[in-house]
Amino acid sequence: VLERIALHQTRLHTPGLGLDGKGVALGAKGLVLLPSIDRLVAFLAVYTRERSLEDLMPSLAMHVVRSKLGTREITLEFAAESSDRMDRVADTARLVGGFTFTGTSRHFVQYRDASAPFGYDATQLLATDAAVALYHQGFSQTYELERRIDLRPLLLRLMPQVDPSTRVESGLRILVAEQGLGPALVHYLVRSHVEGEVCVAEWPPESSFDESPVRRWIVRVPEVPARMRSLLHSTPGITCFVPAGPGVAVEAGYRHPVELRACPVFDAAGLVLLRGRGGEPWDIASLPPMGALTAFARVELRTSGAEAAATRDVRQADVVRVPLRVVPSTKPWRNVTATWIEPAQVPLLRRLAYALPQVTLAQARVAMTARGAFLRLQAGIEAIPLGTFFVEVHPGLYLPAGHEVLPSVGPEVLSRALGAPASRVLFVGTDARAVAVEESAFVPLEASLLAAPPWEPAVAEAIDAALAAEPIDLRVTSIGLMPLRGVDAAEPEDR
Amino acid sequence: VSKVASEEAISAVAQRLFVGVMCPLVLGGQLLPGHAIGEQTARWLGQHPALLSTAPDHAEAVLRVYGARLSRARLLAPIDRLELQGSGAEWTLAAALHDVLQSANPAFDSPLRRTAATRVLALASATLAGVPAPATVRDALSRHSWFARVLDIARTDTSVSWWLGTRTFLGVEAPARLRAWPELRRVRVAASRRAVLDLAPIAFDRDLLVEALSRLLSKTPLTDLATCTRPAPAFAWSESTLALVATRAGRTLALRALARLPAGDVDSALGRATRQLFVQKRAAVSGPALAVLAERALSDAQLHAQASRAARQPARQPPSPSDAAFARAIGAAVAREQLESVHAWSGRERRELLPPLERALRSEAAREALAVMAAMPRAGDRVPA
Repeated sequence: VLERIALHQTRLHTPGLGLDGKGVALGAKGLVLLPSIDRLVAFLAVYTRERSLEDLMPSLAMHVVRSKLGTREITLEFAAESSDRMDRVADTARLVGGFTFTGTSRHFVQYRDASAPFGYDATQLLATDAAVALYHQGFSQTYELERRIDLRPLLLRLMPQVDPSTRVESGLRILVAEQGLGPALVHYLVRSHVEGEVCVAEWPPESSFDESPVRRWIVRVPEVPARMRSLLHSTPGITCFVPAGPGVAVEAGYRHPVELRACPVFDAAGLVLLRGRGGEPWDIASLPPMGALTAFARVELRTSGAEAAATRDVRQADVVRVPLRVVPSTKPWRNVTATWIEPAQVPLLRRLAYALPQVTLAQARVAMTARGAFLRLQAGIEAIPLGTFFVEVHPGLYLPAGHEVLPSVGPEVLSRALGAPASRVLFVGTDARAVAVEESAFVPLEASLLAAPPWEPAVAEAIDAALAAEPIDLRVTSIGLMPLRGVDAAEPEDR
Repeated sequence: VSKVASEEAISAVAQRLFVGVMCPLVLGGQLLPGHAIGEQTARWLGQHPALLSTAPDHAEAVLRVYGARLSRARLLAPIDRLELQGSGAEWTLAAALHDVLQSANPAFDSPLRRTAATRVLALASATLAGVPAPATVRDALSRHSWFARVLDIARTDTSVSWWLGTRTFLGVEAPARLRAWPELRRVRVAASRRAVLDLAPIAFDRDLLVEALSRLLSKTPLTDLATCTRPAPAFAWSESTLALVATRAGRTLALRALARLPAGDVDSALGRATRQLFVQKRAAVSGPALAVLAERALSDAQLHAQASRAARQPARQPPSPSDAAFARAIGAAVAREQLESVHAWSGRERRELLPPLERALRSEAAREALAVMAAMPRAGDRVPA
């Protein structure tokens, strides 16, 4: 019934089956056929070990299906999306003994494997009204849906497996104490200086013979001291849980077969506590507000005495101030981004400007002051080898390169001590005297460099006519002494 | 010839006229009018073309002028041959132009010489009056090849100022001695060009000069039409221009010459001149003028139709002055009559061309145009075929 799809084959018989960009036969859905529920759990356990079910969840549907012979099997359907996803699912299904199919509505063909890298196509379709028709190299079978399997109830029904290693793992713990033990546990933790939060949750009565709801104390402890672990794990009435994902925790000493962090089916606002030894899970739809453990500490009041004695004399401590010193340092130069050019060297800067590259001219910013020119260049001032180099130790605060301040205070402290506003840039010289330059005084070097050359407007004239022909220039000649000599009217017979 | 002067004298005048005026009038360069020629000599020049053969040393100049005239003529018509030396009438016109320019010589503007200038100008006008209108379209084109640039004639006046004074030189070069040591003497030289109608000082009323030039233009109708957008003398439909555009070939040349000018200015000039025809009760002779306007209107309508076919927005015409609107409206009115009466147009052409013409007839000026049309003789009588 099945035939392998060849390279560059475009025509397929199975309805809803197409070729993706890689040429692999792919329908809208993927389907995994598993023989039993334990294989389904194994599938989920293997799959969630490395990746989350979050991308599969919107389209995930699990069913118990029944063949014509009455055998029951499990199908797991999901949106195929791409051959990459299908490859991952198929690998996992192969590991747990399942078969992977792809199709769109009813007819699903076997997904590709090593013998058919582009997948399979069913040349003859089964004439059936069954919900699912599967075409495999070994069989072609139709199935009817019997019932749906929801993931969350399935996960809650699965019994955690014994794993003593979770008892010694560090991290957050959730302690659940029966109502009578709760206050004692809280006082014990408070007394032991263990930080945490606590609340009381209620469950419906376990049987109709109980009149009041079941109350338990829930304590969330970020880190349980090692000395308390054995006590907390072994005391009857106190159960210790290890968080296994948002909104879910598993009893310490047990591990859930499926990685619950990869299953986004639990509400983070609530809490599901999965117990070992076959106990029913404790499900809290909405966790009550929690209070700090310290709020439950035992309160004792003094029996006598007045209010606190007021201080009578307040004296400010003597301030210790030392002058700032700038001393040479052997530390390597870093962040040398400014230079202070003395007025005598400014003509040199003018000459140097002719040799500076355009990038330097465009990026350097200069402020001309009575104390000379201050140049700043974020890329490094070494391109302008003039003046005293400065290191920017703090935004807007410069120290001479190769120097440090004494006492060795931090740049923030130094900046605060100098007290210059943010609109000024401070240059601290080797004599520890600071010069403040307005930030707005810094302008691009290229903008302040050129002296405005004189210019004259050139008026464009219409030159096409001038180019077309030489102009006719009327020249004035002498009219002579007798301008009318020989200038006669025509004879009547000539007219 | 013996009555007036020897043949050699006539030939010398011709040489001087050719080299000093006719050659630069075509080629450009320095135009040097000399001693006035007078009416009698000018007529002799036109009546005895055999005397006009130029000296061998000017043969090259003759060929250059001929080539330039041919180029000028080929701007309007694909012709290969013109009269090499020019016709007698053209020489007479050139002699008259020479005298008109000489009469504007600023040297005449002195107390005892003004009469001489007036006399020279009067004789030049008389000479122009005696020149017949071009007999053929070819004559008109030939005259245009000579006088196309007559309104481009301009005089360069130079003002030289230095640290002690200022002097102005009209149409002559300032002497080198005045321009020497420019830095030391702080010499400034300012040159300005004055068109022929702006020449100053002149020894007579400027209107006489304008009239003389107008008369000259009327003798070369193609030039008259090709410069109709000039500020002065204002274009008017003369007998010669109407006679030129009354012929199919002449109208084609005229339309080609007008197409080289700004359309709005042409419409203004033609509208004003056409309106003058009706004001002066010369409606009976306005047929050729209306034919020109009708063909321009049809040409515009075809451009609009082409733009519509190409789904392009036709070039929007700026609001036109009343003269231009009158010209477009009356041209559109005549063109609409032609479309409806002449069977040479196909139905599709009529459908495409009529809407733009109808739009032109919705303006204020169109009412005046339609009123003028209504008062005119039958359409078949006024528009030349």
